[in-house]
Amino acid sequence: MTATASAERRLNVTVISPSAAAFSGAATSIIAPAHDGELGILYGHAPMVVLLGEGLLRIRTDDGPRRFRVARGFLQVLDNTVAVLAEEVEPAAEN
Amino acid sequence: MSKSRDIYRRMKSVDSTKKITRTMEMVATAKLAQAQGRVIRARPYSAELMDMIARLATPDLAESRPLLRQPARIERAAVVLVTSNRGLCGAFNANLIRTAQAQLAELDEAGARVEFHVYGNKGISYFRFRGVEMAHTRNDLGDPPTTDDARALIDDLAARFVAGELDAVRLVFAEFRNMVSTPPSVRQVLPVGVGEARKGPQPFYILDPSEEEILDHLLPLYVTNSTYSALLETAAAEQAARRTAMKSATDNANDFLDNLRRTYNRARQAEITNQIAEIIGGADALDG
Repeated sequence: MTATASAERRLNVTVISPSAAAFSGAATSIIAPAHDGELGILYGHAPMVVLLGEGLLRIRTDDGPRRFRVARGFLQVLDNTVAVLAEEVEPAAEN
Repeated sequence: MSKSRDIYRRMKSVDSTKKITRTMEMVATAKLAQAQGRVIRARPYSAELMDMIARLATPDLAESRPLLRQPARIERAAVVLVTSNRGLCGAFNANLIRTAQAQLAELDEAGARVEFHVYGNKGISYFRFRGVEMAHTRNDLGDPPTTDDARALIDDLAARFVAGELDAVRLVFAEFRNMVSTPPSVRQVLPVGVGEARKGPQPFYILDPSEEEILDHLLPLYVTNSTYSALLETAAAEQAARRTAMKSATDNANDFLDNLRRTYNRARQAEITNQIAEIIGGADALDG
């Protein structure tokens, strides 16, 4: 089925704050608030480290979107693994 | 006749002490479970930060970043000791204090001017009683400690390190390895040591904005975080130490009670035997 084929093209995402991991799982895409504007990441992205600004982090998963308000953080992409580290991570309303 | 009553009174006293130590043991067990959870949940962040810095920091960059500056000689250093506010936790604070004293002596011997910061009532009262000069004392660390606590502790020291007023900042805290192993440890928070954490071949990274700017934001987070994790671990270690201490106090009270009960029964029997002998003796005297 196509579901299994597309299931392989997932990003492995973790969102971590100093006190706990806020999210960990597979995602199809991420839109992150980089320091100079929004940044979208899809499967197959080149390795990257980027400074984040303050704003909304949107993660699109198979179970629907997840949103977090983040501040003072970083995002690292390596081998389709995305790690978002931020001093402040708060779940934001999903809509 | 008073002997058995004396023993009985001691049994009562030991028993009520046992109730207290048992309760404290259970409270510490509950708090330990929470504190341990916090330590474990905080680990991924530390690991990930360390990983990113290790990938980014190169030896020539280290020259230009003030937080990575490796002084050739330590002339001025700060030692920060974290102890608990409350006692009844066995040798927990004594071990930390001994480790801190060893650090102070070591730096002193190397010819460094050392300023001493102490957190927690136990450490403060120990060093105050001995007339040791302390640059800064605080006893209002949160339970659980927060990143704000960590920032309050380290920000000022970090600023002075960057300004060149300090050459090293070391933290004496209790490392939380597991429930039973919580050794006192020393962590050099500043300068940030990345040498041992270097990764192998670097993947080709897109860096946005620049490597320097990312490091400038990343390093302070790392410094705060290594302080934060030390505070969390110390808080967990304190509960572990208290639980162990209270458990052995309870066990000890049980042993003690067993012994007392045996002595008490023996004394009681001796008294009864004595009384019977007296009654028989009295009856014999009447008959005769």
